[in-house]
Amino acid sequence: MSGRPAAFTTVFRRELVTVARTPAYALLVVGLLIVVGGLVAVGGGGATGFVPAVVDLLLATEVLVPLAAVVLGYRALRTDRATGELAVIRTFGVGAVTYVGGILAARLLALIVVVGLPYVLVGGYVWATASPDTGIYATHTGVDSPLLYVRFLTFAVLLGAAYLAVAAGLSALAGSRRGAIALGGLVLAGGVLGGDLAVLRSLSTGTPAAALPDLLALTSNGAFRGLVFDHVIGVAFEGDGPTVNAGRALLALFGWSVAGAMIAVVALGYGRAVTVTLERVRRRVVA
Amino acid sequence: MSQSPERMNDTETASEPLIEAHDVTRSYGGVAVLQDASVAFSPGLTVVIGPNGSGKSTLLGTLVGRIPPVSGEVRRHGPAVDGRVGYLPQDVPFRDTFTARETVAFYGRLIGAGNEVDDALAGVGLADAGDRRVDALSGGMRRLLGIAVATLGDPPVVVLDEPTSGLDPGMRERAFAAAGERAGEGTAVVVSTHDLELAGTYADHVVALHRGRVAAAGPIERLLADHGADDLTGVYRSIVGATPVREGPSSATDEGADADSPPADEDAEPEPTNGEDDTAVHVPGVSDR
Repeated sequence: MSGRPAAFTTVFRRELVTVARTPAYALLVVGLLIVVGGLVAVGGGGATGFVPAVVDLLLATEVLVPLAAVVLGYRALRTDRATGELAVIRTFGVGAVTYVGGILAARLLALIVVVGLPYVLVGGYVWATASPDTGIYATHTGVDSPLLYVRFLTFAVLLGAAYLAVAAGLSALAGSRRGAIALGGLVLAGGVLGGDLAVLRSLSTGTPAAALPDLLALTSNGAFRGLVFDHVIGVAFEGDGPTVNAGRALLALFGWSVAGAMIAVVALGYGRAVTVTLERVRRRVVA
Repeated sequence: MSQSPERMNDTETASEPLIEAHDVTRSYGGVAVLQDASVAFSPGLTVVIGPNGSGKSTLLGTLVGRIPPVSGEVRRHGPAVDGRVGYLPQDVPFRDTFTARETVAFYGRLIGAGNEVDDALAGVGLADAGDRRVDALSGGMRRLLGIAVATLGDPPVVVLDEPTSGLDPGMRERAFAAAGERAGEGTAVVVSTHDLELAGTYADHVVALHRGRVAAAGPIERLLADHGADDLTGVYRSIVGATPVREGPSSATDEGADADSPPADEDAEPEPTNGEDDTAVHVPGVSDR
């Protein structure tokens, strides 16, 4: 055996090639470019600078990036299981952690490209056309800067990674292609709307408003939005205080990603053992 | 009630088994698909025969670890303890957008055998098809590709689930010849099949399953003598009491697939085979209901 790192790299490369050969993902890039470019052009913020462009893009990004992540992840870990190829891969000594790690790493890289390319192109457009000069690298409050846009993109990738991991993790549980699509839709709706609704409900049932920064940080979209408010838009504009606890928000986004990966590892590593245990119990009950 | 493992070689040869199923039972939804199966596999070509729903694919799945038994265990011996078990599932599962060479190379890299790709393809007669995408290969070529993957790195045990299903006679011959060649090199090759004619030509040992149990097992000559048969079809009739399934003509699809085979989705439950009519003649593509 050539070891776990080699197996990880091999699975990673195969997954990356698979993504690269899937025309639908290229269409996804084009679609995102059209929407993101259109929003900046219509919103007019891009003509002023990076921070105004971020303001134009923020709401759409909260939907588009999760959408792209779910599209990339909703059947990432189901395909090999559904076709039976996972059974063959297992005979080559590839464990669940290595397999899930390789697949998710490749899909994350794909997500960075799929999301990053349209946003970088739009960023380049803003750089080239915005006035006044946006080439200044901000070191203090009140100055627009491409670094703020890069920071926004980084937060967007973290948001996407959380959705990707959760969607991929649940795809390992899906019993059918329809089930995978349904679970992907659930992740998208639950993340984009469910988090905010849960926070609102919490506030309406007596949770003090002072707890809002901590509560928002727990939801993926709330964490992303708060980070953008505080560390992108808030850098250029004086605010009333932090929207979210930054450390907790970053930890939450990271935590969602880890949770998704763990779901996948448990499903693929121990799913059969659980099935057999249930079958044993059933036989004993019947006997 | 369990039984001691049926030794494939008995006293005819001194080969020790490389892998054995010991009192293996597997059920789905409380319905036993394989029950108290004890059988050991030594170097050579062993064919597993039996009607649809008799537990062939389930037995093979337990050998490779794909289907954990609800009771009993699979034991490995000698070089098989640390070696991998090569496996070709009934539904050849490789990714369509990869070429045959890329497919073998992927698996080769997993075991540090990336330089064996061309040899593996040539070994199954696919040397000229290496640059063809999987979705451009015929059903037979896909199965040969699956055999190439299963035998990569010279595993001590190779399990092939219906490698000839849906193939034309020429392709069936090639598939069995490839398996037989590997078996001649000291590998325990286990093949489930409905093709009794080719099985009789190439097999060293036979395991016959009926209603989820091992009905007979041993060297082919001994089984022929025990059942007073001229060929494996006679043995099959003697055990099952019906005409064996015949495979249809060349097809890229998996016609004739075993009803008891695990679904491609390995965690899903197969349909229980309650009330299977063993006396029916199963012709792929034609419903016998």
